[in-house]
Amino acid sequence: GPALAVQAPAFLPQPASDIIDSIEAPSLLDSILWMAAPKKRRTIEVNRCRRRNPNKLIKVKRNIDVCPECGNLKQKHVLCGYCYAKVKAETRMIRMEIHKNEGGPFNAPTVETVVLYDGEKPTEKDEGKRIIERARKRPSWFVQN
Amino acid sequence: LCCFLAGSSWVCGLLGWARPERWLASGSLFPLSCIHTSSSLQKFGKWEKKNRIVYPPQLPGEPRRPAEVYHCRREIKYSNDKMWYLAKLIKGMSIDEALAQLEFNDKKGAKVIKEVLLEAQEMAVRNHNVEFKSNLHIAESLTGRGRYVKRIRYHGKGMFGIMKITRCHYFVKLVEGPPPPPEPPRTGFDQAKEYVQQLRSRTLVNTL
Repeated sequence: GPALAVQAPAFLPQPASDIIDSIEAPSLLDSILWMAAPKKRRTIEVNRCRRRNPNKLIKVKRNIDVCPECGNLKQKHVLCGYCYAKVKAETRMIRMEIHKNEGGPFNAPTVETVVLYDGEKPTEKDEGKRIIERARKRPSWFVQN
Repeated sequence: LCCFLAGSSWVCGLLGWARPERWLASGSLFPLSCIHTSSSLQKFGKWEKKNRIVYPPQLPGEPRRPAEVYHCRREIKYSNDKMWYLAKLIKGMSIDEALAQLEFNDKKGAKVIKEVLLEAQEMAVRNHNVEFKSNLHIAESLTGRGRYVKRIRYHGKGMFGIMKITRCHYFVKLVEGPPPPPEPPRTGFDQAKEYVQQLRSRTLVNTL
């Protein structure tokens, strides 16, 4: 009767506080247990379906053409590799000549430069310009001005 | 085969655990030394031997058998899986197309495969009686797993992993003639026709 009615509310606050305490501090071990991990080994059939899916295969390029100058292959939006390499080599030789002409760093003159090949004379347009001689025939792609 | 093999690297693969040159003392005679050991050049695998088969002469009425060239490169330092994508790209193309695609591909294996194709083309023209070097197409292009080596990869905190240094082989078969037309993809209509055909060809078992 009245004895039971008195005892019941005395126990209520304790289990509530226990629940709050247990939620407040989840231990490190609990958070590790929630991490994602594979449940089963992926079979080779599943692996093959993923690896050989058309979006993973290499796509065939349709933008390859033939360079009209040298005949090598080139991509449409890119300079021809062979022509670029040959121009690069010639530029390097011209720069070596300039280096010999100047002799040291910070000696670049304030006038323009003209490159002349074998058997070419400076015209009246090239009056005040610095002249760099190259000991070979003029390459067909280097237009004279 | 119990012939004593004297160590080229490809050969040591077969009996990696056994080192016959260490068993014999330095002064003793080499037994069975008269047998032609496989240390000259390298051991020929099955793909290299395919170039040696000779067909009997063809009868006058038969259609002309197209020329075939087999070529391969062994122990390329590249992954088998990654090389497979390049091999799949090239399958069934003509040789010019294949060389164009490989030239503008950025993968490491593309350079290797291009060299192999050029070598094979050269071999075909010189030794295998192929008239035009552009008239070849790639009938088969395969990759194989080479010999792997295990090494330790050091991580932080004293942890380590075992890494595999992978190598692969690449095999190619060039056949003379234009490339075969690609087969049309299977439509739903074809599948339905086949299904109906299957249903119609059913018979009653164990009856008259």
